[in-house]
Amino acid sequence: MNYQFDWSVLWTGQSGQWLLQGVITTLEISVLAWLLAGALGILSGALRTLPFPPLRVLAAFYVEFFRNVPLLVWMFFWYFAVPPLLPTPLQDWLFNHGAEFWAGMFALGVYHGARFSEVIRSGIQSISKTQFEAALSTGLTTAQAYRFVIIPIALRLIIPPITNESLNLLKNSSVALTISVAELTFQTRQIETYTAKAFEALTAGTVIYLALCLSIAFVMAQVERRFAIPGLIARVARPEH
Amino acid sequence: MKQTSNLLLTLVFVLVGVTPTLAETTLEKIARTGTLAVGTRTGSPPFAYVDKQNEWVGFSIDLVEQLILPPVAKKVGKPVKLEKKESTPPTRIPLLTSNAVDMIAETMTDTRSRRESVDFSLTFFVTGAQFLVKKGSAIKNIKDIAGKRVAAQQGSTNAKIIRERVPTAQLREFPDQPAAFQALVQRQVDAYTNDGIQLAGLKAKAPNPRDWEIVGDFYSYEPYGMALRKGDSDFRTAVNNGLMEGIDSGRFFEIYEKWFGPKGEVPYPMSPDVKKFMVYQAVPK
Repeated sequence: MNYQFDWSVLWTGQSGQWLLQGVITTLEISVLAWLLAGALGILSGALRTLPFPPLRVLAAFYVEFFRNVPLLVWMFFWYFAVPPLLPTPLQDWLFNHGAEFWAGMFALGVYHGARFSEVIRSGIQSISKTQFEAALSTGLTTAQAYRFVIIPIALRLIIPPITNESLNLLKNSSVALTISVAELTFQTRQIETYTAKAFEALTAGTVIYLALCLSIAFVMAQVERRFAIPGLIARVARPEH
Repeated sequence: MKQTSNLLLTLVFVLVGVTPTLAETTLEKIARTGTLAVGTRTGSPPFAYVDKQNEWVGFSIDLVEQLILPPVAKKVGKPVKLEKKESTPPTRIPLLTSNAVDMIAETMTDTRSRRESVDFSLTFFVTGAQFLVKKGSAIKNIKDIAGKRVAAQQGSTNAKIIRERVPTAQLREFPDQPAAFQALVQRQVDAYTNDGIQLAGLKAKAPNPRDWEIVGDFYSYEPYGMALRKGDSDFRTAVNNGLMEGIDSGRFFEIYEKWFGPKGEVPYPMSPDVKKFMVYQAVPK
C-alpha cells in the first residue's frame, strides 16, 4: 500500500501553466485587497483614536463587524448577496467580467482592513500624547497632525505586525476558491483532478505559498530596516557604550 | 516513551504522505479497530446527505451498511461498526491514501487515471453529465454552451470534459453543489453541469422544482464505484462479494428502489440496459 510519488505531473501537460496562472491570480487578488485593506485600515485606525466620539464609534463598528464574521461568510456575502442589489445591466456586465474575482477581492480587503485597523490603532496609541500636542502647538490642525506626524510615525512602528497580517492576507486569498476564483489552491486541486496525484499537487502549492510568503517577509524586513526610527524600536537602536 | 516515538513516526509519515511499508492491510485494520471508516458526502442527495431528521443517510451509505458491512464483519470474525466521515472531491483521495478512511462511498466516478491512484469496487450506479438550466433557457445541449457561463463542481470529470470539448465556455468551478446552484439561481451562471442524477437530486430539493430543467444528452459516461486503497485485493474482494451477493439476492435492487423508485427521494428509474449491466457484473459463485 505504498503511495507512488510521480513528481512529473507538475510539469507535464498543462500543470505548469495552471500553477503560473494560479500564482498570478493569487498575487493580483492579494495586492488589490492589500491596497484596499491598507486604505481602510489607516482610515479607520486613525478615526478610532480621534477625540470625536461619533467617528470613533463608526470606526469601531466597522472593525468589530468585519473582523468577527468568518472570511468565508464574507466571500459568500460579496458574491451572492451584493450583486442582486445592483441594476440588472450592471449585474450582467459584472457576471461576464469576473464578478467572482471582485467579490473575493472586496471580501478579503474589507475583512483584512478591519484587522489592519487594529494594528494601526495600536501603532498610533503607542505614540505619546505629547507628540500629538506638540504637533498641534506648531499650528497644525488635527487632520494635518495626523497626516504629517502621527500616521507616518505609526506606520513605521507597525511594520512587524503588519507583515504578519499581510502574510495572512495572502494565504487567506485561498478562501476565494469557494466562489470559484481560480487562484493557486484552486489550480493545485485542478492538477489533482487531472492526475489524481494529490500529494504532489499539494506539495507544489505549499512550496509556492512558502516562497511567496518568505519573499514578502524578506522585503518587509528590508523596509523595516530602512524605515525604523532609531530609539523607538529598541532592537534597531543597539545600546552603545 | 514508545508511544511518543510511535506518534512522532506517524507524524513524519503523515507529513511525508507515505504509509509505512509494513502497514497492516485494511481487513487487519478493521479487525483491530472494529470499525470500517467510510468517506462520504453530506450534501449529495440521495447518495449521501443529511436528511430532514438530521440523519446522515443515502443510497451509497445503505449499500455499505447493508451489503458490505455484514460480509466484512463475517470475514474479520467480529462485529464491525460503521464510521462515517465527510469527504469531498478534493479530499477523498488523500483521505483514503492517508488511511483516514478505508473506502470512499459517495458519487465518485471510476476512471482510468484515478485507477492509477486508487482501486475501485464494482460499478454500483450509472449516469452521465447533463445541464441544469432555468426553464426555457436557450441551452439545450453541450454545443449550446459556447461562450456561456457554466458552473461545475471542482474536481469533477465534467469540468475536465467541458474544458476540452468547449474551450470557449466560461467555466466557474465551485467546491460544492449548494454554492453552484445558488450561482445559477442568481444568474451568475447560465447553466450548472453535473451528472444527471445529481441534477435530478438538486432539482427535487429546489424550492420550486418546476422552474428548472435538466437538458442535454449524456456527454460523459459516469460509472460510480467505491474507491479503495490501491493494491489491497483481499479487502476489495470482500467489498465486491458483498455487492455481488446483493445483486444476486435482489437486495441491491430493493435499495435502489427505496432511493430512486417512484416514491424515492429522487425518482430515477434504472434503465433495462443498466439493470442487465448490474446483473452481468455479478460473476458466478
